[in-house]
Amino acid sequence: MRFIIQRDQLIDSIQHVMKAISSRVTIPILTGIKIEASAEGIKLTGSDSDISIESFIPKEEDGIINAEEITEGSIVVQAKYFPDIIRKLPLKAVEIVADENYQVTIKSGGAEFHLNGQDATEYPQLPVLHTDNSFTLKNEVLKDLIKQTVFAVSTVETRPILTGVNMKLEEGFLNFVATDSHRLASRKLPVDLETEQIDFKNVVIPGKSLSELNKIIEDNEDTITISVTENQILFQTKHLYFLSRLLDGNYPETSRLIPDQSKTVIYAKTKELLQAIDRASLLAKENRNNVVKLQTKENDQLEITSNTPEVGEVVEDLSTDSIDGEELKISFSAKYVIDALKIIEEEKVKIEFTGAMRPFIIRPMDNEHILQLILPVRTY
Amino acid sequence: MSKWYPKNGKVIFHVDMNSFYASVEAAHNPALKGKPLAIAGNPEERRGIVVTSSYEARAKGVKTTMPLWEAKRLCPELIVMRPNFERYRNASSEMFKMLAEITPYVQPVSIDEGYMDISSCESLGSPLEIAKTIQSRIATELGIPCSIGIAPNKFLAKMASDMKKPMGITVLRLRDLSDKLWPLPVEEMYGIGSKTAEKLYKLDIKTIKDLVEADVYVLKRVLGINGERLQNRAKGIDPSIVDPDAIYDFKSIGNSETLPEDTVNDQEISQLLRKLARKVSARLKRKKVVGQHIQLTIRFHDRKTITRSKKLVELIEEETTIFKYALSLLDEHWNGKPIRLLGITVQDLHDKQEIVQQLDLFTYEKEASKEKLYQAMEKLTEKYGTDTFTKMNNSEDKTQPSTSFQKDYLDDYKK
Repeated sequence: MRFIIQRDQLIDSIQHVMKAISSRVTIPILTGIKIEASAEGIKLTGSDSDISIESFIPKEEDGIINAEEITEGSIVVQAKYFPDIIRKLPLKAVEIVADENYQVTIKSGGAEFHLNGQDATEYPQLPVLHTDNSFTLKNEVLKDLIKQTVFAVSTVETRPILTGVNMKLEEGFLNFVATDSHRLASRKLPVDLETEQIDFKNVVIPGKSLSELNKIIEDNEDTITISVTENQILFQTKHLYFLSRLLDGNYPETSRLIPDQSKTVIYAKTKELLQAIDRASLLAKENRNNVVKLQTKENDQLEITSNTPEVGEVVEDLSTDSIDGEELKISFSAKYVIDALKIIEEEKVKIEFTGAMRPFIIRPMDNEHILQLILPVRTY
Repeated sequence: MSKWYPKNGKVIFHVDMNSFYASVEAAHNPALKGKPLAIAGNPEERRGIVVTSSYEARAKGVKTTMPLWEAKRLCPELIVMRPNFERYRNASSEMFKMLAEITPYVQPVSIDEGYMDISSCESLGSPLEIAKTIQSRIATELGIPCSIGIAPNKFLAKMASDMKKPMGITVLRLRDLSDKLWPLPVEEMYGIGSKTAEKLYKLDIKTIKDLVEADVYVLKRVLGINGERLQNRAKGIDPSIVDPDAIYDFKSIGNSETLPEDTVNDQEISQLLRKLARKVSARLKRKKVVGQHIQLTIRFHDRKTITRSKKLVELIEEETTIFKYALSLLDEHWNGKPIRLLGITVQDLHDKQEIVQQLDLFTYEKEASKEKLYQAMEKLTEKYGTDTFTKMNNSEDKTQPSTSFQKDYLDDYKK
């Protein structure tokens, strides 16, 4: 195997596949990056067997030469050293050669590295997905769906299914839902997929996979194809192939847990509310749940307070656009509310409460497709 | 009068009840006065040991922790009684109430002793007068003798109260140290147990004076940071303050009990475990705390002891939950060998007032169903004050503290 490649292109691809590589894997060869050279270009692969990523660098694209002088072949290089070597090479172009003894030579300018490689045929074959269950989204839309939900997945393994994001397709909506049982984030997207015969319900994608995917795909209008099978999901762009296993088990039915009526409704400016809660939480960081209290007052005023006996207390009055319904006094984790408000881009939010010990709902005003549900804390 | 109260120093009392349990019993039943009396945990069982004894019994050589049979051999006319903790607790509470009338700076350290900071009690008389008043009130109203040490700090006050017993009042000033404190053998110093004393003897430190003169680096090497502290105390330096809240600084609540026989019988073991869970639960509730860590102690027939603990996801206080977790620890770690003693300790305690419970999406309905009740309670509390509601707790008064190491009742005098 031999080729000369543009260093910047190679670095991008390495960064992509590195997202799937872990030093803690059961199959030792998976700690390496697989490099395949073909007449069309160079393909890099990384995998931890939960996530597998392939990144392809075409030989030539839009008239720009990325790789040349290609002799076909393949090799696995150690991911611990290879990325840093490439990043620190002196010139824009790199020559990579692998011999029949799996010795890899990396040359750029006067620098020459010799690295022990491994036989690429030892590297596990990635499964080929045979499914018609596919649909396409724009990159930027998928990124929004991920950003607006994935932060709410559970980080503890007590209920493994909750570490994933539930993807549903029903009633003309693609719906992403994530919950750690203390808060829930839901994002709906109206879709017109009738022509594409697709069908899935209980698809739960590991939160980690989506976070990594979000880092890799670019925020643009290009399309990404999503294919779903029984236990795997594939995200495919022109040069990227991102395969993730799905979580086993049934995702809990959450829609019936979302209150459909409310007793107190507050309209407020997103940023002002976010900043006030952020300030109040400064003193609450010490206490166990980062608890902030919110109380409705006369004249559409909200009082936001926090009190940590050893530290001190804070009181802030905030003007809202309107407060309708019953008086309310509620305590909640500032972190959850901050997380929820952060993903809302709209200027104003609507918050619906149904009582101090029941979940409340935060949505952008005039946008029913985003829903953030938060469980309050009970104080004694 | 101000000559008794130094401008920049403090006047500290250490009040120590003499032979407390025996004195309380004698006060309760005058027929016992002047007789050799021993209080022992279950006299009929093998673990019967002397918990405390009257001065008359001590004169015959009866000592605390001595097995009963040995005590009876030394003093055949010895009267042995089971401890009556409720009685002691009440007497203790009365005693601390009297101290609290003098100054709010009272720090109970156990059921029968406490410190007082009377530095700002000039208007009540000289320290000696105040001490005499306290001593005679406790003697006449409760019928219990006590010794009081008066000194510029807690350590010296403690040493002073030990110097004359019973019914002594000892003043220990810094200028008295070379005569009164330093000649004492080092093991008589408060804070030096047999292990520390042994180490000091190896350094040829035999008296408190030797300790004062010892090289601080050598002390630190042998005893760590404690070495320097002990030397400072011996020099008469003890910066620790009389802290009325010190009794709140407890990090765990636990109970243990020896089985009547070593056993592998599941039923007996689980019965004892349940009893311990009940006791620990009652003590947690008394202190209005909840814990997040449980520890099980198992001592086997060969005295080999293991402790196994577990951090919990929930906060526990109820007997049933404590029992459940203790049992699962036992199931997990018991190797089937005969058990002599079991203990349950709940750690990582939190004040109920400071804790909050994050509600869960899948279970909140249960809590929310009580919302109306909580709201009504809150409204009434706002109207009538915080004592409007106290949770029904029938077991509270029936559960008596069963070791003198338990300190969670020491703030009862404030009620």
